[in-house]
Amino acid sequence: MSLPLSAIVMLIFGAVVLYGGLAYFLFRAYRGREK
Amino acid sequence: MAAIGSAVGLGNVWRFPYVCYNNGGGAFLIPFFVAIFSAGIPLLILEFSVGHWSQGTPPKAFKKVSKKFEWTGWLTVLIPFIVATYYVVVMAWCFSYMIYSFDLRWGLQAESFFSSFLGDTGTPLIIGGISLPILLGLVAVWVSIFLILYKGVKRIGKVVALTVPIPTILLIILAIRGLTLPGAMEGIAYYLTPDFSKLGDVNVWLAAYAQVFFSFSLAQGIMITYASFLKKKSDLTNNAFIVALADAGTAFLAGFAVFSVVGYLTVSQGIGIDALTMAGPGLTFITYPTAVSLLPFAASIFGIFFFIALLTFGIDSAFSMIEPISASVNYKWKISKAKATAIMCILGFFFSLIFTTGGGIYLLEILDHFVTNFGLVSIGLLECLIFGWLYRIYRLREHANETSDIMLGRWWDILIKYIIPLILIFLLIFTIIQNVTNNPYPNYPPWLIVLMGIAPLLIITGLSLVLMKIKGNREDAET
Repeated sequence: MSLPLSAIVMLIFGAVVLYGGLAYFLFRAYRGREK
Repeated sequence: MAAIGSAVGLGNVWRFPYVCYNNGGGAFLIPFFVAIFSAGIPLLILEFSVGHWSQGTPPKAFKKVSKKFEWTGWLTVLIPFIVATYYVVVMAWCFSYMIYSFDLRWGLQAESFFSSFLGDTGTPLIIGGISLPILLGLVAVWVSIFLILYKGVKRIGKVVALTVPIPTILLIILAIRGLTLPGAMEGIAYYLTPDFSKLGDVNVWLAAYAQVFFSFSLAQGIMITYASFLKKKSDLTNNAFIVALADAGTAFLAGFAVFSVVGYLTVSQGIGIDALTMAGPGLTFITYPTAVSLLPFAASIFGIFFFIALLTFGIDSAFSMIEPISASVNYKWKISKAKATAIMCILGFFFSLIFTTGGGIYLLEILDHFVTNFGLVSIGLLECLIFGWLYRIYRLREHANETSDIMLGRWWDILIKYIIPLILIFLLIFTIIQNVTNNPYPNYPPWLIVLMGIAPLLIITGLSLVLMKIKGNREDAET
């Protein structure tokens, strides 16, 4: 069985918000430390 | 890092995936994200700001607003202490199961094995004896907590440098393994296929706010205590975003590890998902071990990985629940950190013993229900009211803005003063109505509910007032 398209969309949505967001704020913290 | 470790706990693995599945699957992510950004992160910023501004434990922080609020600070640190007394017992179960994983001792009879492991009496009215394996696990966990905390914040830093990444890596391995099993996609489809019609249901939105509130270790004095250790120039707002997204990201990842295996179990046993226990101890000690037993190869290794992940996720949360009260006692009475920690760990150990008995799991469920649904939500509400209304909230905003890149506007004040208290009041009223109209424990006598649910909350409230009245040994200008 393959994953329904709507589930794939929610998977991408969740991953982008959570892991994209986390990466962005970790990058900000790293940049802040560099300063 | 310690704040992330505290927030990420057993609930991320055994609560979030089920709540998501039960409340619209992938569609639940929408109210979940709304709850994170409208309540979770603003409250984290509040607690970080309070701890950083007061440079002290919760009793000191609340006393800084007004002397008469010191009791709220004590209540804030007593609540996680109560939670720790049973949380540690669940960790003791994980400890035993990690050892049992070597030979998959539960076999294909995980349910009856778990029952005999607990010495389950089937009712909280028959206490039964203390289970020796649980007692040994309990001693191991309390001793670990003491060893981590007694030397202070430096050792905590060293421990979380291991206990935050290790379980995350193990969870990734478990998720990858799970996703390669036959039937995994069926499980993930259960987890993520959205049912957008659920977005119109107020229960789903309340579930999202409750999930965020319980998962972020809010209203337990933990974040206030940890923020007091932060450097003067720490970016509080950025830290709050990191903690929130790391916690939610771990919960999202755990869903893949859990549901892929659940899908495998449904396919390999030819049963429906409804036949399986999908949350709480049932998921961890019955459903998941059953699936592990059915794995085609290296089954015991994945069992060991799973329980090590739970233990390492749990230990951060467990010692974070003891640290606020131990730091508060250490501060107010100038008792050494080692002595304060030892007192709390010994007291905690004795309180925990009741949950190692045959009726312990039922007592644990009642206490957890009342502490989380009423205790934590009430403290969150008190925090918003005291710092939002009785203290000048804009001062805390300015304090956060002094060290942060992301500037908080007046919208943050509005969230803390109006929006979040309204949500918490709604949550509280809704839970009370639900409990009154649909008794969650219809087979238990009312005195037991009062004894294990209501009395502990009343006792710690009274104790908070007593602790406020007792004169400390450190009567400086601020305390």
